[in-house]
Amino acid sequence: MLTHTFDSPQKLARVVLLGGSGFVGQAIEAALEKTNTPVKSFSSAELDLSAETAVDQLAGELHKNDRLVILSALTPDKGRDIATFMKNLKMIETVCAAVGKAPVQQIVYFSSDAVYPLGDSPVSEASAAAPADLYGAMHLARELMLKDTAGDKLVVLRPTLIYGADDSHNSYGPNRFRRLAAKEGKITIGGKGEETRDHVFVEDVAEIVTLVLGHGSTGVLNVATGSSVDFGALAHMVASLFGDGVEICPTERNMPVTHRHFDITATRKAFPEFQFASLEEGLRKAHKEFSDS
Amino acid sequence: MSEIAVAYIGMTHLGVNSAVAAAARGMQVTCFDPDEEVVEALNAGVPPVTEPQLEHFMRENEERLTFTADKASLRSADVAIVAPDVPTDDEGNSDLSGLKNLLALADTNLGPAIPLIVLSQVPPGFSRSLALESGRPFYCQVETLIFGQAVERALNPERIIFGAAAPDAPIHPSYQAFLNRFDCPLLPMRYESAELAKIAINCCLVSSISVANTLGELCEKIGADWSEIAPALKLDRRIGQYAYLSPGLGIAGGNLERDLNTVMRYASAYGTDAGAVEAWVRNSRYRRDWVLRLLHDQLLDYAPNPKIVVWGLAYKQDTHSTKNSPALALIDHLGAFGLSAYDPVVPVSAVLNRALEQKQSALDACEGADILIIMTPWEEFKDTAPADIKAHMAGSIIVDPYGVLDTNACTAQALQHFTLGRANV
Repeated sequence: MLTHTFDSPQKLARVVLLGGSGFVGQAIEAALEKTNTPVKSFSSAELDLSAETAVDQLAGELHKNDRLVILSALTPDKGRDIATFMKNLKMIETVCAAVGKAPVQQIVYFSSDAVYPLGDSPVSEASAAAPADLYGAMHLARELMLKDTAGDKLVVLRPTLIYGADDSHNSYGPNRFRRLAAKEGKITIGGKGEETRDHVFVEDVAEIVTLVLGHGSTGVLNVATGSSVDFGALAHMVASLFGDGVEICPTERNMPVTHRHFDITATRKAFPEFQFASLEEGLRKAHKEFSDS
Repeated sequence: MSEIAVAYIGMTHLGVNSAVAAAARGMQVTCFDPDEEVVEALNAGVPPVTEPQLEHFMRENEERLTFTADKASLRSADVAIVAPDVPTDDEGNSDLSGLKNLLALADTNLGPAIPLIVLSQVPPGFSRSLALESGRPFYCQVETLIFGQAVERALNPERIIFGAAAPDAPIHPSYQAFLNRFDCPLLPMRYESAELAKIAINCCLVSSISVANTLGELCEKIGADWSEIAPALKLDRRIGQYAYLSPGLGIAGGNLERDLNTVMRYASAYGTDAGAVEAWVRNSRYRRDWVLRLLHDQLLDYAPNPKIVVWGLAYKQDTHSTKNSPALALIDHLGAFGLSAYDPVVPVSAVLNRALEQKQSALDACEGADILIIMTPWEEFKDTAPADIKAHMAGSIIVDPYGVLDTNACTAQALQHFTLGRANV
């Protein structure tokens, strides 16, 4: 549920991206460049938010008319343990201290749908955030830390599974399926791939960010397409992009089947003219970029 | 007591319909309201609300009805019934200040020991906490008003539930004489039970609606048709033929929302579980956006940038009320599209934030539209031939949540007909 400061998108002075060198950050930077928005992007190598000097370094970079987009996080592939949890909190502690010294116009925080438990369908922004693991708890804690610091300047985006050609993670879903198909000629799925999930194309995520920035939005918004598909069907969709030769390999199921669906009415209301790419269309675009690279 | 004089105090929806029904039951009724403009209109035969048969019964019983703003007229009443509508905010919280003022006015102006009855909906604990003149009997009578059926239900109640300080004590003779005019079971109980009984009735209604909404949505996904299932439930004695089993666009009108809010507040205060009620509220909010979801998920592919006509602005048929109206909630989010609207009773000026032209008829509003959305199931819409709709529209999509029109008749005119509780083919 978002509240817009501006009915129509405004020209932005500058957007600062933290974690901008990642898969999603690059897509956001590209989308902002299309609107001729000045962007200052920091990778973790350029600005280590866990360093003692980071508060002053970040505060020194921020201008009062900036809009800050925070993507920096140690993702689950870097660890799901307590140490990773604490490091992630430390990074946002730094951001909070920096914007306390150098306030900005708006903060966009990239959280995750991991703040919601599986099984509550359909998930909407009104669903209770009750994370089931430290990764989800980390995002929820960071949301609260930023809310405490930024108040109604904060907009929290909770994206579901993001896919795109440049994704460096190898999490279960379109990106891994594409790599498996290209490398091994087969896609191995858990059980028969009965679980349903929502997959959102990275360019759509970037477009949502530009809309949120342009409208000066505040509040919470899930970033999902509203259309879920099971992993078995998804594997077949990816395989079909490679022709007929890719085999789908079911395995013995050792995890219970879970589902996730989203009610995206809040997105419809916030951005009535925005349309998500269909999964077929997004996979096709990602496949082409992947093949061309 | 052969002839009793009844005073009704507060001429809003509840008060005026109940007073007219009492007159139709043969009683002499003084209808008091402190607002002289309201009284003047009533004396001219113009009620403040729209209800079927209301004006008819006002005319038919005009010799037994006296509309007045004169407090002194209350002095001659044998029994007084305070019955203003209790307004609620968007969260369903009641504003009882107007009711309390009228109760104080009645207490001051009625004769000594004349029984005072509150018909307005009050929260549990309200009656017991009232401080009235010493010796004045007080009862809280449960109203079960239904918008669009208010006169009929006031005239022929299924039963009368009323709360007393001590339910086993004899009923005051004047109030007993009043009750005897209605040929129905009487259910005396303690104040707190009566106050909660109305809430319990509404919770049962909402639970039925929630069942219909929840399973109706499943029907839409799996190819079932809720309209085929509901009759089977109604023939089950444990459910019943009058059960509220039609899927809808969420709870509206204010009264049901108020009761759900009251249960949640009391449960929170007393530490009882209201999880089921919270789920009903969540489901209601979710279903309200059914049309918006359908529009974005399915229809915009057929009709990008459509001109939309909305039939119906009232929250339900046969009422002027737009409280929590799904139609107005929908229109709030149709800003990107061309729009016209028509309601038989509610003017388009009820649509805030958007200036719409007042159309003279439903078909007039359809001119050139790509999508027709029927948000209130008025009889007038039901009587409109799909062929005539087709002739006025540019497109061929009808979104008809309540199934006002017949799907086969629409299909025969090459109109696509989308309705709640059924998969669209």
